[in-house]
Amino acid sequence: MRSVLAIAKKELNIYFTTPIAYVAFMVMAFFAAQFFIGSVEGYRNFVTRISPYEGQQMLERLNLTDVVVTRLFASVGVFIVISAPFLSMRLLAEEKRARTFELLMTSPVRPVEIVAGKYLAALVVMAVSIGIVAVFPVILSFFAKGMKGGSAIDWQTVGTGLLGLFLLGAMCMAVGLFVSSLTESVIVAALVSLIVLLALWVVTIFTLGAEGPMKDLASGMSASEHLMPFLQGRIELKDVVYYLSFVVLGLWLTDRAIEGHRWA
Amino acid sequence: MIEVSHLTKRFRDRVAVQDLSFTVQKGEVIGFLGPNGAGKTTTMRVLAGFIPATSGTAKVAGFDVFEDPREVKRRIGYLPEYPPVYADMTPRAYLAFCAGLKKLPRGRVRGEIERVAHLARIEDVLDRVTGNLSKGYRQRVGLAQALLGDPEVLILDEPTVGLDPLQIREVRDLVKGLAGKHTIILSTHILPEVAMTCQKVLVINEGKLVDFDTLDGLIAKHLPGRRVTLDDIAFLEEIYSKLVSPPPAALPAEPPAAAAS
Repeated sequence: MRSVLAIAKKELNIYFTTPIAYVAFMVMAFFAAQFFIGSVEGYRNFVTRISPYEGQQMLERLNLTDVVVTRLFASVGVFIVISAPFLSMRLLAEEKRARTFELLMTSPVRPVEIVAGKYLAALVVMAVSIGIVAVFPVILSFFAKGMKGGSAIDWQTVGTGLLGLFLLGAMCMAVGLFVSSLTESVIVAALVSLIVLLALWVVTIFTLGAEGPMKDLASGMSASEHLMPFLQGRIELKDVVYYLSFVVLGLWLTDRAIEGHRWA
Repeated sequence: MIEVSHLTKRFRDRVAVQDLSFTVQKGEVIGFLGPNGAGKTTTMRVLAGFIPATSGTAKVAGFDVFEDPREVKRRIGYLPEYPPVYADMTPRAYLAFCAGLKKLPRGRVRGEIERVAHLARIEDVLDRVTGNLSKGYRQRVGLAQALLGDPEVLILDEPTVGLDPLQIREVRDLVKGLAGKHTIILSTHILPEVAMTCQKVLVINEGKLVDFDTLDGLIAKHLPGRRVTLDDIAFLEEIYSKLVSPPPAALPAEPPAAAAS
């Protein structure tokens, strides 16, 4: 445990002394802000345009969480997928390039401790990244009041949404960590994990016209399809299992890849 | 303390180390000599547990490096060929990280960092960013890392590369000071260094052991009848070129100026 924390601390130290994490946070903050403003604007236009008579029922059912926050979170998902490879790329590839991997491998630590330390740091950075997005619903709650004077934000839905985004981020980081363990080049690590994750994100477009098992398979594999229930306020076992299986598989393969160096 | 028996390491079809056997007693300082590509670094990497041997065994303090890697690694301080430092960290943060990797008790970490920083003479640069340090300082940060936790065995792969003559002398004195209490294997191209710090010399060429003996033993064997003192460095050069040639041009041209330092 001691060495796990030492590795995590060193990783975080490097994340926050080099620009990479800050760039990723800025990208996240900038685009989340754009989508947030866009969603709020869209909501305002919609509300002012519908006539009070025919749209009365619709207005009553309309809620700020579904229209603004859920849409915001859905768009943020793709930025997690895009930014995660750049946050995970140097985790192990850089150690090999800088030959500090030799230090890790000749220290009295097990491969699983290296993996755990690296992944822990990656999760912290991902959590900060998602924390930036969580600020927007809070801002919204300052200005929006519900019909009965309560908060206009449904915090439970926001909470499950954030949980979903975090699970997505955890999956991306685990995949990125594994890819990073296979190469000495951070660029290759970033690009390969980006391709893998983007493919999983958009896999359903490959079967747009299809019906039956192909379509089911695609939506079963899709990282974006599994995010939707979380954004709508539902925690479903199949979605949690989907993300966690990628995490477990990614970490296990990374452990094997590091252990493999002892045998090469 | 260190037992290597019939160690062979193959990289695909290239044999880096072939049937290497030697034993190092506790407290001995062994100089590892050989031309470039002779297998020095490979042997040290196997001993440090970074790469496995193709066949044969290596034991450190009674533990097999492949069967009980963590028991061995706990007892070894290892300075690789390239100092494994992080360009974005300060030496202080780096040493604290290494202390965590080696699982030193938390209370001892601060004192240990001061101690090894003093030994490696890096106190002045502890809070600078490693990436901005000169090659010599980076090398010494790597050396400080190896000394951390006061391991029984030190494996130093060319510890004096990139250092100026005065620093080389400091490292030499450091190694001498550690001798007796620690078992040390160090590789080098600098022959005076071997003559001045090591009790025994292990010469390796093209992956094979050529000779392993004390300095006096080497002199008696290869320069019979010659009277040499340890201040006279030329004799070692002669022995070395006898042992590793052909190739005839393998003689490392070490300027006598370095010997004077």
